[in-house]
Amino acid sequence: MSRNQPLLDIHNITKLYSVGGWLSRNKIAAVADVSLSMLAEEPEILTLAGESGSGKTTLARMVLRLVEPTLGRILYKGRDITSIRTRKEQIEFMQDIQPIFQNPFEAFNPLKKLESYLFETAKNYDSRENGSIEDRIESALNLVGLSMREIRGRYPHELSGGQLQRVSVARALIASPSLLVADEPVSMIDASLRMSIVNLFKDLKDRHNVSIIYITHDLATAYYISDRIAIMQRGHIVEIGPVKKVLAEPFHPYTRLLRESILEPNSETAWDEEITLSTIETKEFARQGCKFANRCDSRLPICEETEPPLSFVDGREVKCWLYGVQGKHDTAS
Amino acid sequence: MGKSFLTYVIQRIAQCLLVVIIGITITFLIPRFSPTDPVEAVVNRAMMMGQFSHPDAVEMMKDALTKLYGLDGTLGQQYVRFWRGLLSGDLGPSLSSFPKPVMSLIRGSLPWTGALLLTTAIIAWVTGNMLGALAGYYADKRWSHVLSIIAMSLHPIPYYIMAFVLLVLLAYVIPVFPLGGAVAIGLKPGFNWIYISSILRHAFLPALSLVLVGIGGWFVGMRALVTNIVSEDYVTYAEYAGVPNRTIMYQYVMKNALLPQITGLAMQLGLIFNGALITEYVFNYPGLGYLAYSAIFAGDYSLIMGVAVFSIIGVSLAVLLVDLAYPLFDPRVKHQ
Repeated sequence: MSRNQPLLDIHNITKLYSVGGWLSRNKIAAVADVSLSMLAEEPEILTLAGESGSGKTTLARMVLRLVEPTLGRILYKGRDITSIRTRKEQIEFMQDIQPIFQNPFEAFNPLKKLESYLFETAKNYDSRENGSIEDRIESALNLVGLSMREIRGRYPHELSGGQLQRVSVARALIASPSLLVADEPVSMIDASLRMSIVNLFKDLKDRHNVSIIYITHDLATAYYISDRIAIMQRGHIVEIGPVKKVLAEPFHPYTRLLRESILEPNSETAWDEEITLSTIETKEFARQGCKFANRCDSRLPICEETEPPLSFVDGREVKCWLYGVQGKHDTAS
Repeated sequence: MGKSFLTYVIQRIAQCLLVVIIGITITFLIPRFSPTDPVEAVVNRAMMMGQFSHPDAVEMMKDALTKLYGLDGTLGQQYVRFWRGLLSGDLGPSLSSFPKPVMSLIRGSLPWTGALLLTTAIIAWVTGNMLGALAGYYADKRWSHVLSIIAMSLHPIPYYIMAFVLLVLLAYVIPVFPLGGAVAIGLKPGFNWIYISSILRHAFLPALSLVLVGIGGWFVGMRALVTNIVSEDYVTYAEYAGVPNRTIMYQYVMKNALLPQITGLAMQLGLIFNGALITEYVFNYPGLGYLAYSAIFAGDYSLIMGVAVFSIIGVSLAVLLVDLAYPLFDPRVKHQ
């Protein structure tokens, strides 16, 4: 792997889903023409944020090879991940990218002892650090603040959600991956335990050089741990850039809305938006032009007709006509 | 854990006993509260034939029958006598094939039904679940679709229609199998190939009809369970732990999907005591189902009650066994 090669390079990927019955079949782009890349030499935490249905999870599942993209390419360490065929390549890929899912209670087979996941992972992936299988498990558990003594012989239903989530992080770490894909890892965990996991991620990045894709709709933790943030809406990345910039001074009207609904939970407008969300959901997917136009308080006539391009402004990319060059209808830029 | 497991066992056994006692009590009460009086019925039938016209003779006959049926004395006395008989293995004489005891009729039919239904239930369960699991795990493969279509067309066929179709096809149109019965007439029972092969040949069609429909049912259920489980996070985690596909299929998917199917199997095994009523009738197979069928037609109360009692005990025992075995499969049950 050359030094300049990106760790993860996503080129214009799109995932289409068909919805509706066989009389009124519609295609919905869960992820539409998304490109982003993460550098290999400097590990980072990239947050994907956005409301439900914005495509964050689908994007993550495509990176994990759990969902196949309809269009576009995903390169991992320079290699197209759809070209992975043999078992050996698959194992190599999975050792390097590990998932962490939202619901810790569904993360483990209820009929198997917890440690079996740890042993399987340790057994199937040869260590990059030395040490026996037991040692590697113990050190991974120690990283998440647990020890084998608390886990041994126990079944998933005997542990709390917070403990389980930490075990699933430990399981991912045993493989010593370069990239963690964490899909809302703290949303089902008690608020008091959230910070310990979030801090763990930060620590993994700083001290163990693990890059993390952190999916959340909790902008507070995103602000706290991530380096960059990508705001997704209706399948598009509408704004992407350094987290401090994007959240401190959001450019895209949707980012502004997101931030307001978190910082000012009492604000009337924020709640109104939440309530009408589901009813306009399918309409937004199908709409031409900017998907956010009908909820946007600063829309222009052009927003209704033409999809805005991603434009470079102030160290970030924004998909909005307010910052794009009007009249230049080139989405590929 | 030792102590809690013991309490678990005792609780389940007590529960089972309670169910059996309540069930049998209900079977005892129903004929006694039903508007038709079995004694009256027999006497009327006899009167219609023009015999026993003398009123004293009729009275005597009524008394004798009442005693025979265990209908004399108060309800409480009858109930005590009923239990005493049951515990000593005596269910009284059958009315339709008087004076044969109900117990010996059941003893004669039970082995036929037991062997037929036990084998078919297990064969259908194992094949149906194996195929269903494979079809669910490899849901996008072509053969999986083909299997599903076959199973889905087999499943809704009533088992007696299947029996009838097979009978016409393979015993009448192409006469490879005998038309009915359990063994060739006139063969002497014995442990030799001629006798055993005759049993197998006679049992083949009824067994096939039950197995085909059974496989369809288990297949459809198992495939649905497996397709649900395959998308669970813990299966993805296992994949990302580098666990080989075969192990995932058996250890993570099939094992979990089998839990409800085990309960289903137990319920079905319990129903053996009902026999496969119509299948046995279609094939003239001398099992419990056939016995129950003729008992219902002949209005043979004591025989119906005998079959019902066996059915209650059978189902409850099967459920008890599964309950006791469940903690071996599912660690979550131990602590409840």
